[in-house]
Amino acid sequence: MSHGFREFLRALEDAGELLRVKKAVDPRHLSALMAQASQATFFEQIAGYPDWRVAGALVSTRRRLAIAMGCSEAAIATRFEESIRQPIEPTLVDRAPCQDVVLTGNDVDLTRVPIPMMHVKDGGPYISATLVVSKDPEYGRNVGSYRLMYRTPRETGIDLVSPSDMRVYYQRALDRGRPLEIAVAIGVHPFELLAASYKAPIDVDELAVAGGLHGAPVELVRCRTVDLEVPAHAELVLEGELLPIGWTADEGPFGEFSHITGEVKWNPIFRIRAITHRRDPIFYVLQMPWENDWLAAPVIEAAGLQALRVASVQPVAIRAPVGGCCYWTLVASIKKRPGEGKNALLALLSVAEVKLAIVTDDDIDIDDPDQLDWAMTFRVQADQDVLIVPGARGKHIDPSVRAAAMGKGGLPTTAKLGIDATIPEGIPRSHYERLRYFAKDAVRLEDYR
Amino acid sequence: MNPLARVLVAELSERPRHFGELVEAHMETAWRDFLLAWGEVRAADILGRDDDGRYLIRAGAVVS
Repeated sequence: MSHGFREFLRALEDAGELLRVKKAVDPRHLSALMAQASQATFFEQIAGYPDWRVAGALVSTRRRLAIAMGCSEAAIATRFEESIRQPIEPTLVDRAPCQDVVLTGNDVDLTRVPIPMMHVKDGGPYISATLVVSKDPEYGRNVGSYRLMYRTPRETGIDLVSPSDMRVYYQRALDRGRPLEIAVAIGVHPFELLAASYKAPIDVDELAVAGGLHGAPVELVRCRTVDLEVPAHAELVLEGELLPIGWTADEGPFGEFSHITGEVKWNPIFRIRAITHRRDPIFYVLQMPWENDWLAAPVIEAAGLQALRVASVQPVAIRAPVGGCCYWTLVASIKKRPGEGKNALLALLSVAEVKLAIVTDDDIDIDDPDQLDWAMTFRVQADQDVLIVPGARGKHIDPSVRAAAMGKGGLPTTAKLGIDATIPEGIPRSHYERLRYFAKDAVRLEDYR
Repeated sequence: MNPLARVLVAELSERPRHFGELVEAHMETAWRDFLLAWGEVRAADILGRDDDGRYLIRAGAVVS
């Protein structure tokens, strides 16, 4: 059986990474409190919501991502890469905890769920930890993660601006004048969220990818009011449809994963037909931007590894650092043969999302920014080791692409930058021999205290 | 519209405001009550947005 959300919470607690908050907290203060905690947070009482508890900031660090994935921090990319090559199809069950309570008709009321107020300039309270399931008659099931902005007790906005499979599904339904049924599962294991952020081909079931990560099939249950299936162990499920109105309703701003407030977007509306949840539900607040960033890291790092291997370059380590939002930047160390510093840069920059790539040798610990700075200082000549690729596809939320100046519907481009911080060809490795202290291994400071 | 929804409309008629400003002005109101009132304002189809994402009452919108 695959692990659920609650097993992950237990794993965090066992590792000393979960802070329990016992006093009642107003939902308007949840995010601000999470931001002050060094651990993931679990709120045992929510003011005005006696049936609910809230967990959040669960995957806000690389260490907690490693706990979620059951591996070391260094092995995150390879763990993800190996698992997605071995998908396991989900199984269907008849009864599920996520349907302990079923609310339909006049009982559908989102204000009974403790949706938090997150950022100063958000356009409303947001549901951020979503696993959105949809289906297309031709392409089959799709799973993605899309933010939902509270509008009314039965409606939310949904950000469907960026290219995605579900956007294609919605457009196809819209062309037929039909709504698109969706189901939103909240409070699922991070493996489901990782699979949702993985850009699988349109005919690949992301829940099979999640099964590969679990090493066991994800258990699904049929929804009550839509022809879809959701993870049986979810905490909360919203069933309903995207209205066939196109991109016409205001949505946002929201604190984006780029750590910047976004803009108002024009998006469809999600109308809710049913709310189902566990008897003692836990609402998961995915704390922006950190959790969104870290959940992207394995996907981007694995894409970088694959690109390096296709280029016949031998990677030693790869990181998508949080300073680049675990998305725009890749840093890799390689076992270099002549010319492979540049080959590695070309490979890493071929990853669509990556705007900055840095490659260095295997003697540099890429988790140590001082070592990386040292390599970039002494192994780089800017006229020979810097690669700029102009006019590549950009992303609106990067302010430097000046998307606002392009007008509505404009697609921005960006320049990509590669820095080859490997030892240049023709310079002996001995020129980079580090200082070593005389008699370092012969004496110990504690013997002199 | 419930009384709080009317207050929210009045505040937005005065000047555009971020959602967070409206929330901050009504922290004494229970969150759920605030969201119910906001839902009524939303459902009335009278809202517009400015370039900075602030809500405003659309010109010509009829507030019932």
